[in-house]
Amino acid sequence: MTMKLRAPGWYRAVLYVGLGVLFSLALITVARLGYGLDPVVDGRSWLLVSLLAVPLFFLGGLGAFDTWFHWAAGRPTRPDDHSQHGATSWRSYFAINTDHKVIGIQYVVTSFSFMFIGGAVAMLMRAELAQPGSQLVDGQTFNGLFSVHAALLIFLFIIPVFAGLANYVLPLMIGAPDMAFPRLNALSYWMLPVAGVMMLASFLVGPFASGWTAYAPLSTTQPVGQMFFTIGVQFAGASSIATALNFLVTIITMRAPGMSFFRMPLLVWANFSTSLLVVIATPFIAASQFFVLLDYALGFNFFQAGANGDVLMYQHVFWFYSHPAVYIMMLPGFGIVSEIIAVKSRKPIFGYRMMAFSLLAIVVLGFTVWAHHMFTSGMQDWIRIPMMVTTAIIAVPTGIKIFSWLATLWRGVLHVDTPMLFALGFLTMFTLGGISGVALAMLPFVIHVSDSYFIVAHLHYVLFGGSLFTVYAGVYYWFPKMTGRMYDETLGRLHFWVTFVAFNITFAPMHIVGVQGMPRRVSDYAEQFANWNLIISLASFVLGLSTLVFVYNMVSSWVGGPRAPANPWRALTLEWQVSSPPPIFNFDAVPTVVGGPYEYGVPGAVHGVFKDGGAEVAPPKPTTPSVAQ
Amino acid sequence: MAQESRGGGRRPLMQMAAIAVVASALGVALGLLIEWFPSQASTQASTIDTLYNVLIITSVPIFVLVTAVIGFCVWRFRVRPGEEDEDGPPIHGNTRLEIVWTAVPAIMLVALCTYAFLALQDIEEAQADEQRIQVIAQQYAWSFEYPNPMGGDPIRSEELYLVEDEPVLFDITALDVIHSFWVPAFRMKRDAVPGLTTQLRVTPNRLGTYPVVCAELCGLGHAFMRQNANVLTRQDFDAWMAEQVKAAGGGGAPAGEEEGGEAAAPESAG
Amino acid sequence: MEAAGALAHDHDHDDAGHHHGPPPANRSSRVDPQMLGMLLFIISEVMVFGAFFTAYFFIRVVQGAEWPAAGTELPVAIAGVNTAILLSSSLTLHWALVSIKNEDRNGFRAGILLTTLLGATFLFVQINEYVHVGFAPQDHAQGTIFYGLTGLHGAHVAIGLLLLLSVTIRAFRGHYSAKEHAGVEIPGIYWHFVDVMWIVVYATIYIL
Repeated sequence: MTMKLRAPGWYRAVLYVGLGVLFSLALITVARLGYGLDPVVDGRSWLLVSLLAVPLFFLGGLGAFDTWFHWAAGRPTRPDDHSQHGATSWRSYFAINTDHKVIGIQYVVTSFSFMFIGGAVAMLMRAELAQPGSQLVDGQTFNGLFSVHAALLIFLFIIPVFAGLANYVLPLMIGAPDMAFPRLNALSYWMLPVAGVMMLASFLVGPFASGWTAYAPLSTTQPVGQMFFTIGVQFAGASSIATALNFLVTIITMRAPGMSFFRMPLLVWANFSTSLLVVIATPFIAASQFFVLLDYALGFNFFQAGANGDVLMYQHVFWFYSHPAVYIMMLPGFGIVSEIIAVKSRKPIFGYRMMAFSLLAIVVLGFTVWAHHMFTSGMQDWIRIPMMVTTAIIAVPTGIKIFSWLATLWRGVLHVDTPMLFALGFLTMFTLGGISGVALAMLPFVIHVSDSYFIVAHLHYVLFGGSLFTVYAGVYYWFPKMTGRMYDETLGRLHFWVTFVAFNITFAPMHIVGVQGMPRRVSDYAEQFANWNLIISLASFVLGLSTLVFVYNMVSSWVGGPRAPANPWRALTLEWQVSSPPPIFNFDAVPTVVGGPYEYGVPGAVHGVFKDGGAEVAPPKPTTPSVAQ
Repeated sequence: MAQESRGGGRRPLMQMAAIAVVASALGVALGLLIEWFPSQASTQASTIDTLYNVLIITSVPIFVLVTAVIGFCVWRFRVRPGEEDEDGPPIHGNTRLEIVWTAVPAIMLVALCTYAFLALQDIEEAQADEQRIQVIAQQYAWSFEYPNPMGGDPIRSEELYLVEDEPVLFDITALDVIHSFWVPAFRMKRDAVPGLTTQLRVTPNRLGTYPVVCAELCGLGHAFMRQNANVLTRQDFDAWMAEQVKAAGGGGAPAGEEEGGEAAAPESAG
Repeated sequence: MEAAGALAHDHDHDDAGHHHGPPPANRSSRVDPQMLGMLLFIISEVMVFGAFFTAYFFIRVVQGAEWPAAGTELPVAIAGVNTAILLSSSLTLHWALVSIKNEDRNGFRAGILLTTLLGATFLFVQINEYVHVGFAPQDHAQGTIFYGLTGLHGAHVAIGLLLLLSVTIRAFRGHYSAKEHAGVEIPGIYWHFVDVMWIVVYATIYIL
């Protein structure tokens, strides 16, 4: 037993959680004594400090920091025995693991779990909204439902699921044996369940209820459940930054020989761009939530108008992250769709370089549009005009991508199977979401519809019809690679069509009720919106049920689907050139890249060359001193 | 070549163009037929509604075009039996086409922005003789303050009363958290921010009662923070105002006497 | 903190003839991965400071709050001396790095120890300033952002000190050599960043 408690793992994690709670108590007691206060601690501050400290103790117990503490204590370095690399049984997925393929699956499965919870919460909301008046939940609970729904789906589903898919395929695609910092990668993953469980745990004390935007000063005057969001976001954000940093270093320093930047698959480009956004923007949301925490817990005055604080500052700082975050939630999807459309059309991506440059253009422009979320906020009027123009202009690089995908389809040999259906579904739905986005740039119109259901419609067309469709496409597309099994094509198509139809019936009418004057984030609405809302609610239940088809397909195929060949799609990119699932260290020897990733239709074209034996193709060992002591 | 029979030549392009034109026309017609807006009750409303219709006319064809191309490709270029191992033609790009689809949307967007900017100037233009009304938002109620025609404390009302065809300037404040003052029938909205006074201009031009809603999440009663905006004729408004002045006790002598009498009653009883 | 530690150490020892390990990755850039990781981490740290400076900008410029708040005074001179202390720690750190590159272990140990002590002194003076400055973050937004920015910086100094402390421990245990000093160089960059950031904080909070 002592051995179990000393070795990294769940036993020690539980022990450390207990220690963390005690540590928090001790910390506050000492601090109160230091300030000359009565050392008796109130539950609220104990809870707050615990929320910050206990996750770190948990991660420590699980073993996320062991090697670094070992280093910090000045002990001699020991060579890595790779005992934490690769999955040997299902238990490997519940421990610290440094294999990017294990981490990728951990990410995808975890984030989908949170998606199902977030989706179930949405069902509850739609049940309440099926009729005007209050039926199921009171106002505060309803506010909690949509806040948790958005927070889970944004911070614990879309952002990490893309990180998970990329984690799995990106190192394979660029011919790297793993990510640049495998242990940091493991830590990034394990911060996610921490953040998610924290956000869900807010239901124990009354959920946070100021929306995922958590505008101050509403968020600084909420019950304590708000802090489960404020602090949970810190962990999700830290995870996000660490992963992005890892991707950037991996992409820059670990590409296979011959893989120049313009031979990288567009998924790699997309994650490169996304990671730039994450590294630069995410600190802003961390800071904005720190401001809220300080105002809330210690009585700081960041947002107290009576003490020279600035209320609108919250929105500026928040949206300076959260608008780029929209692209963080979309660019990796662009990458996935580019892969699928090229492979399934059997044609090279049309205008590859423009596709890459438009990603970078979106990254740059993405930082210049944040205040379009604040057109009616009462900020200085003149800021609205440049923001309107940049918001409209950012549609240009996005348009380039859409037209290039269409041109890729043209005259191809289209294999319209499940991943392709979702990719094409994404194209139509995202175009609609993009168009309503351009409409939302137009100031006079947005003065009318901001904070209405039109916004809800727009954002779901972009995030559900856009991002989630690409996630589904990617999961189906790489399912054979990740599991070594084929999914059921019939069920896949059924899943697509039910989702596609129910999605449109759910979200298209929201445009209309929005323009007609129904505000968002309400548990009750005027009688005139009753018919549409009933239709929306019914369709949303079908939409919810459609995910069951997906779950059944995934689980049953993973357990008993037919074995997948190494390259079922006849794709050129490197991840398909190794077995399904790939060997534990991806490649016996790193391949050499000799051409572009999408040379379909070019006779005899190859992307990467594999030679047996490895030694002859392996490049000379790097000369950089790489041993850190 | 199999490629030629599948998609070479100009024919698919012509077919595609024909489909796109017809579908766009249908799409625009559908977009304009939908009854989008609540009733128009301000001069701002018609400007905004026109802008929206222009947006529908310009953007629906783009959506329809994208959808039609996808549908057409799936129909025309779908893999057929015997083609399973074939590839499409290795077309890597077309610089002229790429310039076109960069430049044309950019020009369209700049034009739309210019139009939107002019429309914005139009709806936010200051008018002569604006009536100033204070909008005070708090969890979870609105109150509206009018300058007292008799001088003295402003007249406070829970419902909003406005005069037809007379421009109004709202000074909006919040007492606790952020709210947002929205009258969908006027198409105008502005946040109420603690510590700031924000402004909004409206010229109501249609008699009737319209909902006022709070559009910014403000706490547990957010959904119920609704009120009425009444647009009255000048005559009706004056009558209402006189009543308010009377009720507030700051006005004419008879009102004062009556109230004084009532107030005196308990005294005499005591 | 975790990230910094990771960067300084995250590395797979691929000894020759090591068959169960991964194939060596191709090195597609001349930049050292750990160095690049640290630079990217510093970019995101700069953005954290950027957000706090945004708050400062809104409170002082947009709101036009009086600076410093009426009836308060900032100890510009003492903080100036403290600035000199922190900046000199960058010099001693550089000295330590040059020494280890020349295999001068005594110079290295003296330099790294001195750096750590100077950093600790800075932090001590800063805490002392909090005790005597005469206003609290709860008093007004000016106090909030004063404590916010200097506190954020102080937290970074503390993290940097933990890194330096680890390096010092390792230095006295005989690690590092002229060939292997990435473990000094990379935490060192972080420390230089903390110093440069202080100049910006000092200039905006105390001088402007």
